[in-house]
Amino acid sequence: MRKLIINILCFFSYVIVFGQTTPEPPEGMVYVPAGNFIMGSENGDPDEKPKQIATTEAYFIDKYEVSNTEFAKFDPTFKFSEEKKNNAAIVTWSQANAYATWAGKRLPTEKEWEKAARGTDGRIFPWGDTYDNTYVVWDQKSTRGTSIAKPESIYGCFDMAGGVWEWTSDWYQPYPGNTTPMEQYGEKYKVMRGGSNFNNHSFIRSSHRYYLLPEKISAYPVGIRCVKDVD
Amino acid sequence: MKKSVFIIVLILSGCFNTEIWGQKVNVFPKKTDPLHKKVDMFDRLMLGNHWNEGAIMQRVIFPPAGLNRPIIGPQADCLDPTSELLAAYSHKYAITKDEKDREIANQIFEAILKLEKVTGVSGLVARSFNQTDKPLWHEETFWYHEWHQSSSMPGYRWLGDLSADKFTSIFYGVGTFWELCADENYKTQAAGLLDRFIGRVVDDNFKLTDLDGKMTLWGNFCPDLPHQELNSLEMLAALKVTHHITGKERYNAAYHMLIDRYNYDDHQINSKILFPEEWRNVGDDYHAARSLYMIMRYEKDPSLLLKYKMNLNRHWYDWKDMEFDFESSIWFIMVYQVLTDENIMTEERQLAIKNMWGFERKTKEYNVPQKDGTFKKIKSEEEGTAAAMIRNYWFGRYYGLIDAKW
Repeated sequence: MRKLIINILCFFSYVIVFGQTTPEPPEGMVYVPAGNFIMGSENGDPDEKPKQIATTEAYFIDKYEVSNTEFAKFDPTFKFSEEKKNNAAIVTWSQANAYATWAGKRLPTEKEWEKAARGTDGRIFPWGDTYDNTYVVWDQKSTRGTSIAKPESIYGCFDMAGGVWEWTSDWYQPYPGNTTPMEQYGEKYKVMRGGSNFNNHSFIRSSHRYYLLPEKISAYPVGIRCVKDVD
Repeated sequence: MKKSVFIIVLILSGCFNTEIWGQKVNVFPKKTDPLHKKVDMFDRLMLGNHWNEGAIMQRVIFPPAGLNRPIIGPQADCLDPTSELLAAYSHKYAITKDEKDREIANQIFEAILKLEKVTGVSGLVARSFNQTDKPLWHEETFWYHEWHQSSSMPGYRWLGDLSADKFTSIFYGVGTFWELCADENYKTQAAGLLDRFIGRVVDDNFKLTDLDGKMTLWGNFCPDLPHQELNSLEMLAALKVTHHITGKERYNAAYHMLIDRYNYDDHQINSKILFPEEWRNVGDDYHAARSLYMIMRYEKDPSLLLKYKMNLNRHWYDWKDMEFDFESSIWFIMVYQVLTDENIMTEERQLAIKNMWGFERKTKEYNVPQKDGTFKKIKSEEEGTAAAMIRNYWFGRYYGLIDAKW
């Protein structure tokens, strides 16, 4: 009898603990728990400083960048060639934001994006600290998640390094404590993350930031990865 | 009366423009012409049609879509033909000792100085410039888009975001000019330019930074950041050349720091991606070839030379079977022979050299943005660059790989 009670208590404890800390993600998303992580870098560009401890609430984030086919469900006028139906969609910030809203999601903040990419331990890339061309989608002829090594981030995301750049919801602003002046700081440029295939290795580091006019993407392939709040 | 005066003025202004800018040279060689004649005629085309105040345009679009001045055309890679023609005239001068050849080289070198001056920042070199007060239509059409109005040279616009391959163009072109062509005055200026340009990269922890202080898209040589093996080679070559030319110990110290502390000598060995085969990149080979050509002639340490030779051998594994469909691929063969002293000039390779060609003039339709936001399709003639072919020729002549009678 006593053993049975203990087993029942253990079962409910399990359900309560895991039910609360790892909620079932919506289809195509992964779960990122609340808590601290290491953000920024001392070795990158001046705008990545200072390296700091940042915090997020728990959230879900898309496992892959949004594809052309997925985006076309939101905007049937969106044109792409048939062989690129599973490639990441390349869109302006407004298009990305509208898609996220339509999908019942939103664009990630810089903090959310960086934590989903590099986890909590301050690693350089989603998979660790070393680089090889086989870890990333080499060109835009390839589709999402098709790098040779297929590395996942610690939370299970693909292509957070390379593929296409990804929009965040944030304006390009200095981090608290950053003292390097940049005339681009303010509410003119949005931040994109993750680099694309057409970049040197440093641009696909998870802490790297780049600014871009929200509606002017002709020089950069920028796509979408959405987040969703945990209810 | 008024009408006739107007017509005369119109005709005179047309002649005036033509005389000032010299566009276009319209005489092309025939494919059957001997090599020296082809080179001479393409040289005239380049100097006549591609000359942008001494800098060389990689591709020129003629009127009506283009303008006589400023020149219209993609400008991201202008430092490549500029450095190629600088090297070409340096090799040519070393053979002819003709002051006219030296003067052309001097003017091209001064254009590279202007590429620095136009940015207004000591040691920051632009990809290209154009004499204009207003943005030109091609700035938003062709990659890159990082155009700035010059604050240091009013009436000029310049293109930023310099990359590792243009970094290589600068130390290769200026280094060759210093070595073979420059008089004492220009040697001092060349050393000063490399000191400022490479010195700025060293001071920024081996990063090419742009006007905004951020690293450029392809400007990463930093030991604290992951970067391509090719970039390690390029940085070592740049430091070797700059130390050789300036005599400043800081460049020798930086060279050995990157080797002793960060193993750049080992890292650079794998500059060439050999497998999978579809990842082999002939464009990257060009930057490696220029870097190896410079560093292997200056390096005297046998153990380091062995490592650079390993790098060269990995390239040769691919080059030995390469088809000559890229203007610089035949140059790889010549560089290999110069660096190794192996006689690898087969009849087929000699024939490829004799068959070198510059470009065809083509007609293309351009979607030119209009002031009202619409686009207008305009057909224009355009032509590419023959600078690599001309450089190949004088390089081959200088090293005795090309016969003057060919």
